[in-house]
Formats: sequence, C-alpha cells, structure tokens
Amino acid sequence: MSAVDLLNLLVAAFLLAGVYAAMSVGMTIIYGVMKIVNLAHAGFLMLGAYFVYELYVRFGIDPLVGVALAFPVFFFIGMAVHWLLIRRIPPSDQPTLTSLLLLFGLWLVLQNLGYLIWGNADRAILTPRTLSMLGVGPISFPTVRLVVFAVAVTSLGGLEFVLHKTWFGRAVRALMQNRDAGRIVGVNVERTARVAFGVGIAFAGAAGGLLAMLFSFSPDFGGPFLLRAFVIIVLGGLESFAGVAVGALILALVETFSILVLPANYQPAIAFSLLVVALVVLPDGVAGLWNKRHRWA
Amino acid sequence: MEQKAPLGMKRAGKMRVFSRPRFTLVVAPLLLLTILAVLPLFGPGPNIIRLLFVTFVWVTVSVAWNILGGFGGQVSFGFAVFYGLGAFTAALAINGGVNPVLSFLLAGSVALLASLLVGLPTFRLKGPYFAIATIGVSEAVRVVMTNFSLTGGASGYRIMETGAFHQLQHFYTALALAVVAVAVSILVRRSNLGLALIAIREDEEAASDLGVNPFRVKLLAHALAAALTGAAGGVYARYAAFIHPQGVFAFYIGVAILLMPIIGGVGTIWGPVIGAVVYGLVHEELIASFPQFHLLLYGSLLILIILFEPGGVVGLLDKSFRILARARGTSGSHP
Amino acid sequence: MTNCLEHNFRKRYSVSFGLLLFAVLILVLPGCGKGKTGTNEIAIGVVLPISGREAKPGQYQREGIELAIHQINQSGGILVKQLGKKLPVKEVFYDDGSDQAKSAGLVERAMSSDNVVAVLGGYSTALGEAESVMPDRYQTPWITTGSAATTIFSRGYQYIFGTLSPTDLLGYTTAEFLGSLVDHGKLKKGLKLALALENTDHGVDYGKGIDKWIQQHPGYFRVVFSEKFELGSTDFSGLLQKVKNARADIFLADAHLQDYITMHRQYIQTGTYHQMISYGARGPEADARKALGDATNYIFAGIWWSDKLPYPQVKRFVADYQGFTGHPPDSWYPATAYDAMRALATAIEQAGGLDKTAIRDQLRTVELKDSLLPGQVLRFGKNGQINTPFVIVQNKPTAKVDIVYPPEAATGEAIAPKPH
Repeated sequence: MSAVDLLNLLVAAFLLAGVYAAMSVGMTIIYGVMKIVNLAHAGFLMLGAYFVYELYVRFGIDPLVGVALAFPVFFFIGMAVHWLLIRRIPPSDQPTLTSLLLLFGLWLVLQNLGYLIWGNADRAILTPRTLSMLGVGPISFPTVRLVVFAVAVTSLGGLEFVLHKTWFGRAVRALMQNRDAGRIVGVNVERTARVAFGVGIAFAGAAGGLLAMLFSFSPDFGGPFLLRAFVIIVLGGLESFAGVAVGALILALVETFSILVLPANYQPAIAFSLLVVALVVLPDGVAGLWNKRHRWA
Repeated sequence: MEQKAPLGMKRAGKMRVFSRPRFTLVVAPLLLLTILAVLPLFGPGPNIIRLLFVTFVWVTVSVAWNILGGFGGQVSFGFAVFYGLGAFTAALAINGGVNPVLSFLLAGSVALLASLLVGLPTFRLKGPYFAIATIGVSEAVRVVMTNFSLTGGASGYRIMETGAFHQLQHFYTALALAVVAVAVSILVRRSNLGLALIAIREDEEAASDLGVNPFRVKLLAHALAAALTGAAGGVYARYAAFIHPQGVFAFYIGVAILLMPIIGGVGTIWGPVIGAVVYGLVHEELIASFPQFHLLLYGSLLILIILFEPGGVVGLLDKSFRILARARGTSGSHP
Repeated sequence: MTNCLEHNFRKRYSVSFGLLLFAVLILVLPGCGKGKTGTNEIAIGVVLPISGREAKPGQYQREGIELAIHQINQSGGILVKQLGKKLPVKEVFYDDGSDQAKSAGLVERAMSSDNVVAVLGGYSTALGEAESVMPDRYQTPWITTGSAATTIFSRGYQYIFGTLSPTDLLGYTTAEFLGSLVDHGKLKKGLKLALALENTDHGVDYGKGIDKWIQQHPGYFRVVFSEKFELGSTDFSGLLQKVKNARADIFLADAHLQDYITMHRQYIQTGTYHQMISYGARGPEADARKALGDATNYIFAGIWWSDKLPYPQVKRFVADYQGFTGHPPDSWYPATAYDAMRALATAIEQAGGLDKTAIRDQLRTVELKDSLLPGQVLRFGKNGQINTPFVIVQNKPTAKVDIVYPPEAATGEAIAPKPH
C-alpha cells in the first residue's frame, strides 16, 4: 500500500470518527444523568434516518436542513417518551435491568413501526452531493463524508458549549457526578432528567439523519450502530464526553484499518469483539486509564 | 373464636387426596403430560404435531434461560450462541453417523463448554453490562460462524439422514427434552443452588457475605441452562435438516429466548412454560397471518410487563386470584 | 400463614396448568380430523416472500404464477383423465417473510396438511435450500422458481425441480461474454478482474463459473482480487477500498438487489473506474434505476430471461403480464415462475391423475416447447435443474436496456469499455 492510500484511509477514519462520536453522545448523556442504558437509541437512529429521508423525498428539503430540523423535533419526542415511560422507572444510581428491558421493548416497537410505515426495503438518500468527490492534493474523499463530519463536529461543539456555559449544562454535569449532591445544591432532578433525555434523543435522531446520508437504511438499521455506540462509550469511559471522542476515534481507526488484514466478511465482528474486550478489560474505559495514571502522578 | 381449619382440611370430607400442594406439583403436571403424550392418537394432523414440536423446543430453551435469568437474575441476550452451537454440533454428529440421542447429548456438552468460555470473562460484569456483553458475544459468534467453512459457512449445513422421516419420533424427543428441562428447573429451584441463585438475584453482595460464591454459582447455572439450550438446538436441527448460521445464531433468537420467560413470569417454574406456549403457538399460527405485527406485540408486551406486571402471566394470575378470593370473602387471603 | 401461601401456591399452579391445557386444546382440537379438501380442484402450494428483504422479487414471481393459473383456469382448468374432466387450479399461498425457518415450515405445512399436489417457491437460494428438505420427506414435487445454487440439486433428492439455470453457468457466460468483447477488439487481452462475491452458495457458484472459463481460455483474463462480503451489510466501503487498491480493469460482483444498490452507490463514491462493471444477475432493475439514476448506465448483468427476447410467446407474455398486474415485468423474476407453473400443469395433465409421485415422474420428462426462457425449450435435467442459456443485458442511457449477448438474441451493441 502506498503512502497516499494509507493517508486516504486515515482521512476516511477521521471523517467516520466524527459521525460515530455524534452518534454516541446521545447515549452518554442519558446514561450519565439517569444511569439508563438506552437500547431504544437504535430505534431513534432509525427514525431520524427516515425523518430526514421523508423530508427530502417529499418536500425536497436538503438533508442537512433535515438534520438541523431533527434536533428540535426529536428533542420533543424524547421528552414525550420520558414523560410517558421513563419517569415510571424507579431512579437508581446503578443501571438497572428494568430500564434496560423497558427500552429494549421500546426498540422493538419502534422497529415494527418502521416496518409498518416504510416496509422492509433499503432506502437511500441520493443528492447531487452523494456522488461527488472532493480532492485535496493526492487525497480524495466523498464530499458527503466531509459535510457530515462538519455537521457532527459542530453539533458536538454546540453540546460542549451548552454543558459548560449554561445552567442546564452545569446541572447535567452535576447530576452525572452525584445525583443526591446535585439535588442538595438545588438542581431540579426530574426536570433536568427530562430535558437531558430529550437532548439525548435529539442527538440520536440527528445522528440517524447524518448516517442516512452515508449509508442505506432499513427499519433494523439501528442495531449495528447501537453496538458501535456501546463500544465507543465503554471505551471512552461511559460518562466522559471527551472519552466519547477518543472512543469514536479508536473504533473508526480499528474498523478502517482492519480491512487491510481481515477479509471483508469478518469486519462486522470487529465492533462486537471490541465491545466484549472493552467491557471486560477496560471497565472504566480509556478515560479511566487516564484518570488512574493521573491519580498516581 | 373457633379456629378456622386450614383450607386444605375443609375439603377433606370430599377429596382428601387433593388437599395437599403435592397434588398440583405432581398430579396436575402428569395429567398434562399424559394428554400431550396421547394426543397423536387422536389424529391431529402433521401441522399440529409440527406446531407442538416447535413449542416443546421453545419450552426447553425458555425454562433453561429462566434458570440463570429468572432464578439468578442474570439477563443474557446471548443464548442463541448455545442454541446454534447445539444445532451445528448435533448436525455434524448425525451426519457423521452418531446416534441421534448421543448427538443431542454431545450438542448439550459443547454448549456447556461454550457457556464456560462466555461466562468466565463476562460474569465479572454487573447486571446491564453483562447483558450488553452477551449481545456482543452473540453477534460476534454469528459473524464468525457465517464464515466458518467446516460447517458450510454462509451456505448453511444440511443433515442427510437415511431412512424414512417419522414425525412422531421428533415429537416425542422434543417432549421428553421439555420434561427434562422442567424437571431440572424444579430440582434446581428446590435445591441449595436455587437458593443461592435467588440470593444472588436479590443482592449479590449480601449473598457473598453470607458465604455464597456468586461467580461459581452463576457459572453452574449458566452451564445447566446452556446444556439444555444446546440440546434443544440439536433437536430442532435434526427436524429442520437444514440449518444456517444467520438463522440459528440470529439475534432475534436470543431475544425470543429471553422474551418467553418474561412474558410468562420470570423466576417461576411454570411461567417460562406458559410464555413458551404463548410464543410458540401464537407466533406460529396467528402471527403468521400478520407477520408485520409481531415485534410490535412483543415490544409492547415487554413494556407493559416491565411497567405494570413484572411477574408476567403468572403474576397476573396471582393478582387475579387474590382479587377473586377477596371478593368471595374466603380465607384465601389471610386476615 | 402457611395456609394462604399454600392456597395461593396451589391455585396459581392449578390455574397455570389449566391455562396450558386450554391453550393446547384450543389450538389443537380444531385441527383434529381435518377432512380432505374436495376433489373438485387441484391445490398448488406457493411459498414466496412478499414481505421482508426479498419482498419485491417474491411479489413478481407470485404474479407470474398467478398469471399462469389465471390463464389455465380461464380455459377450464387442467384435464384430469382419471376423473374425466377439467379441474381448476387453486393456489394455496403463504408468505414466508424472507425467513428461512418460516419458509421451510410453511412448505412443510402445505405439503403435509393442505393436500397440495406440488409446491412452487423458494426465492432465493437461502430460502430454497431450507425448503428443499421437505419435498422428499413428504414425497411431494417442488419446483423452485428462484434458487439456482447447484448444491440443492446435488444431494440426490428425488422430488425437487428448478426453473433457474445454475449460477455457475451465469459466471461462465459472463466470462464468455467478456471474452467475446476481447475477440471483437473492444477490450484488450490480459485484463485484470476484481471479484466481490456474496457470501452464499450463489456467490461461490458464480466465482467457480468465472474461474472455469478463464482456465479454459488462458491469456484472456487474470483474477487479481476476490473476496466475499456478507449479504445485507449497510457499508461496503472497506471492501470497495480494497477493490480500488487492487487496481483491476474489470469489476465483477455477485449480489442481491438491495446490496447491488448499496454497493454501487458507495462504489461511485470511491471514484474508481473500471472498464466493465457487473453485479451478477442484477443490473436492469427499475428500483436500481430509481435509486441511482445515471450511475447505473453501462452496468451489464447475466439474467435468466429478458422481456426483450425476440420470441412471439415472450411478446404475448409481456402484454398479458402488463394487463394482469398493471406494470411491465421487472427483470427476469416473473418468467421463471410463469413457466414453472405451466410445466407443472403440463405434467399433471400427462400424469392423468393427482398422484404426486406420478406427477413427479412426468415432470422428469416434460418438455415445454414454447417456453419463455432463452432457447425456447424447457426441460428439467437429471438432477431436476434446467440448463437454459443466459442472456447478458446492458443498461444504456435514458433507462434503455439492451440484450448484448448471445449475438442471436442481441437487440443492441455492447458498449465496452465504459465511457468515463
């Protein structure tokens, strides 16, 4: 492989990492604030993809605009789901099986809704942008990947801003650290949790739209991405946003470069195996390793 | 006040033999078993036999999963691994000329070994993390087996048996296996292993403080459950005569295996059986006419059960009984 | 205290059993002593996917079968000599949802409980393989209209037939077509091939066919890359990156419809150029043209039938199909199903009665002399599979599709190499 080919792969991995990070951050928020493992994340990725698709196919709205619209729409959907279902789960400091199974049931329901409305055939979003390529020197990549990367990074930046510069963001971080202490200092846990859930679902929907611009999708499209999101947040340390970025980068690099050594048909197994390894070997994620090292310093 | 006689004794005058709980634990199940065993004599047709066969297989895996997931509280999404490994092991063995019953035993053994491989690293994880890890394992195994040339890879694997096909042979084998599974489940429940599992389910730390070794108990329960599931996979494989990794290792198989006990009543003896019957019969018959709705049905059921009746069908029965008894004003509810 | 516990315990369990018994009985009893269906119609089982991944082709195949049945019944049905009259055909249809286990179970159900004399179905290879276990078990003839894998037909089964030519012949014909382009000077000799094969028997057979031709004709082509991919993936970019790195001249893939669309979209995004591109038996499908537009131009495919074949019976069929369903036939799907039903009807008539083994015996010798398929003659081979030649079609700009090989059936010139 020439240096140019390797460089191409590296760029491809980076672009992918951006989308992966955006896809996983929604789960991190929900997990951090409520200690709920949101298996329905896959269902909302799928709905986000179809949302952007429908806007494009029916109304001619550019998918990027569709993604931007997905944020508020799915925010409200998320809050509605929280009000309907999630708030009935007894709160806990540890993730519970109750929440896991409940959201799993929700995922099944969402999948079936997808089948009923759109059928089982794969769909794809095809814009003039989809088939065009961009070249920077010897490196070339599809335009759409760069665009998606840009949007992903921007939204992550927006989230960082919210988390550090707004009251809500600080409340979220407080709850992530210690729910009871947060309550003591005046955080309205119920309301913050609801809004945080909404934000998490908003990111899921928008990320689904972004993924739809890259890949074809069908109602069970969320599954493989859900597993990748798990890998990423576990690698990243489950509660750290910087960790999500690191985890996304690691997974994207491993996936992209593994094609050099593995035949294509084994590639899906990488994410799954990495998940198991990460859970067993690195329960605190990469961020945990980092913290440990610094604690001893 | 005249002391109320225990309810059992009230009926002593008429039917003393029905006054012991032992009746429901021995006579009633035997009655059910007898009915199922003689059913083929009434000429129900090959389709009904096939339906019952599938149901018996589901009963086995449902009861098996419940040993670890219901008694022990360790929710595994990855039982398709054992089902599939059992299926392929039995298929390879039968094609190699091994007696079918031995093949099923072999299938169970291979699944048991696999359960140790899976359990050793993952049982250190708590609750939901264990569940997620099992998803990863299940999918990884599926991808690997789809590319494993010894078992035909993505072409699937065919069992070529000489001799005529006797549907009833499969029917009775599956029924026997289901009976074994339920028997194992009852034995475990009434043994120290069962107590240990329940203790772990309620509070693992407290249990270990009391001298239970959670890791070993979980491994043991996992092994039993996997062995039964593997044997069931083998029984199924012999009937279908063609198995494919995308079929037997599919994620939705792991999901189904988990759903059945939860719907029926997780943690009870007969809950998983009811759940399997519901799933097996309903799934095959009614949902075949409306294939588009089954995920909706199961997802909604799961949500409703988790939110409102975690005890599943059995839990509902319990509640309705208490309401009925209270309405009748009998001593069914203790004052 | 123990009493009420015992009481609840007992009650709960006795009701649990009652429930179980009730459930079993309620679903079993109606099935007991099911009477035979009347001897005033011929029941044919049809098991195809009309939901799930393979819904579209399954639907088209169903339409082909139903058109044939409609035409047969319009003339009164099939003449059954033993009964001295014509009996209409009744279709017993099941949707297997593209699921293997379901498919096998439904075929079993049709054969064992619905009194069908034969079953048509099995789209595609995976479903066909699962179903193929049942015909011998229940001694009922089975004709697959959508599975071409040779492994189904190499097991010594006695009751199976298929109206799809083997996939390795597809691979062979593809290579043969490319070879003819070299002979005509359109392509240079010694070109490099990159193969991407679906991870199924279909892909394996395709690759074998190509290899066979290459070995028989040294010097024409060289395979520099060959890898398998998993059906139903959403992301082929890794595989396509490897294809790009292989720097081959010709790209040959073997995929199902969905994967063809997904893969080709990502192929375009890699910006690679190959002189010729094919996706095996997929190419001219309307769905692909809708999804990818001009990006599908110049793709060629080897298919089992084309509506452009210059036979009068093909023209008649296309008109009848359009009238019956309201849309033109898509690719080859309805034709193999239509002819399968016609061959079955002929065999039933020749058998003189409704005995399944007699019908099977007739299927072994039946000959359809006005078949829609290339060569115009449908005859099942010794292993049950037919062996009709393939046609190569190529997509041309503005949604035109031409038959470009074999020369006798060609409706247009092959464009090779592909314009940039």
